[in-house]
Amino acid sequence: MDSFFIRYRNLIVLLAILLAQIVGLAVQVRRTGEGRSTIDPRDAPGVRLIRLWAETLVAPPERGIHGSKAAAVRLWQNYLDLRHVREQNQDLQKTVDRLRLEEASLLDDARQGERLQALLDFQHRYIYTTLPAQAIGSSGSDQSRVFYLDKGSSGGLKPDMAVITADGIVGKVRDVFPGTAQVLMINDQTSGAGVILETTRIRGILTGNAAGQLEIVGILADERIKPGEKILTAGGDLVFPRGLPVGEVEKVVRDPDRDSFIDVIVKPAAHLDRLDEVLVITSTEPRFSPEEQQDLATSEAVKGAEAAAIKEQEKASQIMAERLPGLIDPNLPPEQQPLMDNSNPIPVAHPPQALHPDRFTPNANQAPASDANGSSKPDTTAKPETGTPQPATPRNGKPERNP
Amino acid sequence: MSVMGANFRRDLEIRRYPLLVYVLVPLVALVLQAWLPRVVGPYEWCDLPLVVTVYFALGRRSPIQGTIMGATMGLFEDALTHHAIGINGIAKTVVGFLAASVGVRIDVENNAIRLILNFLLSLLSSAIFVFIYRVLLGLELEWRWFTELFRAIGNSLIAVVLFPLLDRLQIRD
Repeated sequence: MDSFFIRYRNLIVLLAILLAQIVGLAVQVRRTGEGRSTIDPRDAPGVRLIRLWAETLVAPPERGIHGSKAAAVRLWQNYLDLRHVREQNQDLQKTVDRLRLEEASLLDDARQGERLQALLDFQHRYIYTTLPAQAIGSSGSDQSRVFYLDKGSSGGLKPDMAVITADGIVGKVRDVFPGTAQVLMINDQTSGAGVILETTRIRGILTGNAAGQLEIVGILADERIKPGEKILTAGGDLVFPRGLPVGEVEKVVRDPDRDSFIDVIVKPAAHLDRLDEVLVITSTEPRFSPEEQQDLATSEAVKGAEAAAIKEQEKASQIMAERLPGLIDPNLPPEQQPLMDNSNPIPVAHPPQALHPDRFTPNANQAPASDANGSSKPDTTAKPETGTPQPATPRNGKPERNP
Repeated sequence: MSVMGANFRRDLEIRRYPLLVYVLVPLVALVLQAWLPRVVGPYEWCDLPLVVTVYFALGRRSPIQGTIMGATMGLFEDALTHHAIGINGIAKTVVGFLAASVGVRIDVENNAIRLILNFLLSLLSSAIFVFIYRVLLGLELEWRWFTELFRAIGNSLIAVVLFPLLDRLQIRD
């Protein structure tokens, strides 16, 4: 018996280790109600322990490497490479001012939207607090698109929290360890997120394919879907808040398995291949955060000042309009407005009316009739050829008198 | 290629390394495999833990040690993913066992043999992975055969460069 074990010890060890792993796999996989196999999303304690060991072993060197790299980059960026920083700062300040004004204009709409949602008893989830974190490592496998953050449960992270960047969504927290957290990226084959196309309002489920591309699967063929259309989160998956950018339509392909269905290949908004800093949405509440409220207050102040300035400008314009002759008279009908007058705008100079008209007087067609005492009466019925019957006024404003 | 008797080769050429090498080299392989994708972007043309498993299995020429080394590396790889733990573990267990079994019988100093061995064992590892995932567990998994082919080529090339460097770490009498 001993010789059997000694002779076949290599094979026995191999089979024992393989058997142990196969049993371990069987424990982790379960059947769904539809008869499909799936990996239990919540790890059993033993499995979680192995993951914790691996993470404890790998995370410190990764953190060290990442820290060294970050320190070198910081040294370069903060002390050595400061060219054009002042100009950039000025540009950014201008951008901040402009955005504040834009935000002020959107403030009323946002508040009105909140009021309407409250009336409809609809709790729209706004991003309340986010936690910045650094990506320090990955799974190292293209079949498992996950990465690790340098913050974990001690930093307040929990499973199913959304992970985003300023550009768009990245993934969700899958597992949390004391000092690290595992994030499942949206381009993994097992991930899923509810999305909506911005223009056509078509809803679908976003997932990843073997090539690491994003695709929306299971939607009916629709000719309105064109490349370039923006895609947003739909908010129905209880992970990602509504309205976050996801990406844009890259192309539309036929579903190989089902006729009349299409797959929409999506170009992600976030740079999923080169993630460094991300934000974890740690809380979504139906109200504004203190920082946002402060920004809004600032915007309101800016808006108030801006409104006062605009009012002053309008008042000054009114005063100027009153003082200057206008082309529109509010008391006249449209067809009689001075603007519609096609007559010659240059007044014709007419000679002053003669005190004692005679035959040389302009417009005197016939000799004036002399009265008995020799005085002649001017023809008051004679009308000038053109222009108004007003006498021409000299530049000094006094009517001229014939000598 | 010189094929020699098993016992003769084992007695002559079992390589020994400082304990630190047994700990640090696999650890560095795991860390680099997990960290490099964050730096160089998509990184699917190489499987450093597999290369290290093959190296130690070939060098030690002990199927049991190769099996344990492969199982350990595979399990740690699995633990870093979100997949079930044991898929890579089984694949690399088999690879470690086979590499050690082959190392007993053939000359593994030759670069051409190292290259071919790594290529074949990488393909075998990928095949076992897909088999377990899709057939044994019945899970859905898309995979691309040319990715596995390129990964096998990448592993072979890295092995040709890495093995001579690791050879320098062995204890010489």
